[in-house]
Amino acid sequence: MRLRDTIRRAGRSLKNAKARTLLTSLAIGVGAFTITLSLAAGTGGREYAGDIVSSNTNVRELYVQPKQDTQGSVSGPQEYDDTPSMSFGGGFSLKLLEQADIDKITELDNVESVTPVYNVTPKYVTRQGEKKYQTTVEAFLGTIQQEYLAGNGDNVTGETVVIPDSYREVLGFESARAAIGQTVDIVVSPVAAAGGLQDKTYSLKIVGVTKKSDLAALSGQSSLQASNDVVKEMYQYAQQGTPIENAYMAATVLATSEDAVEDLKKNINDQGYDAQTAEDLMSFIFQFINVLQGVLIGFGALAVLTSIFGIINTQYISVLERTQQIGLMKALGMRRRDVGRLFKIEAAWIGFLGGAIGSGLAFAVGTAANPWIRDVLTLGEKTNLLIFEPWTFAAVIIGLMLVSVGAGILPARKAAKLDPIEALRTE
Amino acid sequence: MIEVKSLTKTYGKKQHTFTALDDVSFTIPDGASVAILGKSGSGKSTLMHAMSGLDRPQVGEVIINGEDILKLKTKAVDKFRATKMSFIFQSFFVQANETCFDNVSLPLEIAGVSHAERKKKVTAALEAVELGDKIKSKAKNLSGGQKQRLAVARAIVNEPEVLFADEPTGNLDSTTGDVIEDLLFGYAKRNGMTLIIVTHDADLAAKCDIEVRIKDGKIESISEPRKKEVTKPAPRRIQ
Repeated sequence: MRLRDTIRRAGRSLKNAKARTLLTSLAIGVGAFTITLSLAAGTGGREYAGDIVSSNTNVRELYVQPKQDTQGSVSGPQEYDDTPSMSFGGGFSLKLLEQADIDKITELDNVESVTPVYNVTPKYVTRQGEKKYQTTVEAFLGTIQQEYLAGNGDNVTGETVVIPDSYREVLGFESARAAIGQTVDIVVSPVAAAGGLQDKTYSLKIVGVTKKSDLAALSGQSSLQASNDVVKEMYQYAQQGTPIENAYMAATVLATSEDAVEDLKKNINDQGYDAQTAEDLMSFIFQFINVLQGVLIGFGALAVLTSIFGIINTQYISVLERTQQIGLMKALGMRRRDVGRLFKIEAAWIGFLGGAIGSGLAFAVGTAANPWIRDVLTLGEKTNLLIFEPWTFAAVIIGLMLVSVGAGILPARKAAKLDPIEALRTE
Repeated sequence: MIEVKSLTKTYGKKQHTFTALDDVSFTIPDGASVAILGKSGSGKSTLMHAMSGLDRPQVGEVIINGEDILKLKTKAVDKFRATKMSFIFQSFFVQANETCFDNVSLPLEIAGVSHAERKKKVTAALEAVELGDKIKSKAKNLSGGQKQRLAVARAIVNEPEVLFADEPTGNLDSTTGDVIEDLLFGYAKRNGMTLIIVTHDADLAAKCDIEVRIKDGKIESISEPRKKEVTKPAPRRIQ
């Protein structure tokens, strides 16, 4: 018997038992639904996390800290070390990077630039006639993606600053456009006021206003961004007279290319530092998503497992019901193998239907739910948490067809073994 | 020519054995119509099953065109049945949920005939049994006589050399029964097909060229061929 004819006959037999076929398919469809949704959630989740990573960090960037001696285990008195460190008491201290370290890293291969991490917390930011607001100032990094409402980040050098839209509003600018070219005053006071140092005011020109990014939850894009030189000056002014004046908690190292990042990381670690890539920093997010997806797929697999028994049951009943038909086909010269194949293909049809119904429903529900999820979780405007890729439908449907054929093997064997003489005696 | 040589079939083991066929031998010339006549339980159905290769007797040979089909492998016997034999049953065994076309098409599909070829042959077979207008009707909407005509169409569509009919008129009234008999004998004669009818109906048996009476698994009597004019088979075509 030709395969095409067998497939057609199998389809027709199922059509003759519509309700039974549909119910059995629905059982497997539950599994298909769950698996499709979890695959979509995994894809969407990873993409969303990827967006967070790229909008908060630069993939070419490495975050370098000195290697801490006492990672985790603080027991007993520690020997004094003359390198700069921040002491937290109890024998625990945090080592800092010195300029010499910075220079050493700068000389490594594949390093484009090394920027010490300056964390400046000025006293306040204000402008004439407005209230004073708390803030933090970061060094501007052109490599981070951000959206500008006005101006741009092309020329953040010298006495310039990029401010978030929220500061634009409280500082009394009517619109983002109106803020461009205006100045804000940032007042920095020294930490060690021993030398009788005064607060210092930096007047910076606004060159860009950034949109509040929904994805920027993890880093400080709510802080002001000034040029590296200005931030460095502020940092040194604030820390002058303290032991950590020329030391930094960390530095960001920019690799010359994305491919060089891993090698560079190894290289820096070999020099006795602790380097982390953007991916390392964000890996916990991916891990979490993968675990969650695995759990969801597990539930789907459980549903599929249950439906296997449904398919076996349905097919056994079908064989019993059609004993006479099977007998006739065998009397007419149909081979055992072809009879078995007919029933396996019927099972495959059930799997196909279940997979198509389940994944189709998942697509419909997921697409409809995406805007709602976005609202509830306040994700970005264009972010979809459920992303359906065409291959997942194909994989789910083909996978379930294979599973169904597997479930159909026993009933198909029973049909193939049927004695035509016995079968034709039943009426 | 079909030669049946000392067929013996027993069921059960040791002291519980039951002999369904006991050393049965006879010969059927090509194109003859044969009635296997006997009461129920006489072994006539077992004989038919053995002659068609559905059953495997312990002893004996069934030689069709010089080949002992009982010595063939299952696969070869299946092919033999699919291409050279066909069946008609007392209770029709047509598939109620399928159309007449699909019912008649089944033997051709099993034999692996192409779609275009099938369409031609099925249409011709349905027209031969005067069901040409029912080609798209579901079999369940047919009357009993029409169902058996449909079964005849299914039996002749693959142009068999041997047709086994198991009580073909047993479920029909005499008028519709006569129609089926005429169809079968007419087709067999025109196409030189060997017709083997298993029945307990003496009137039907009387219409056949040869009567084989069977009782308790043994041949009681074999009539001499009634008509000798069966000589040269006509070209095998459905008229």
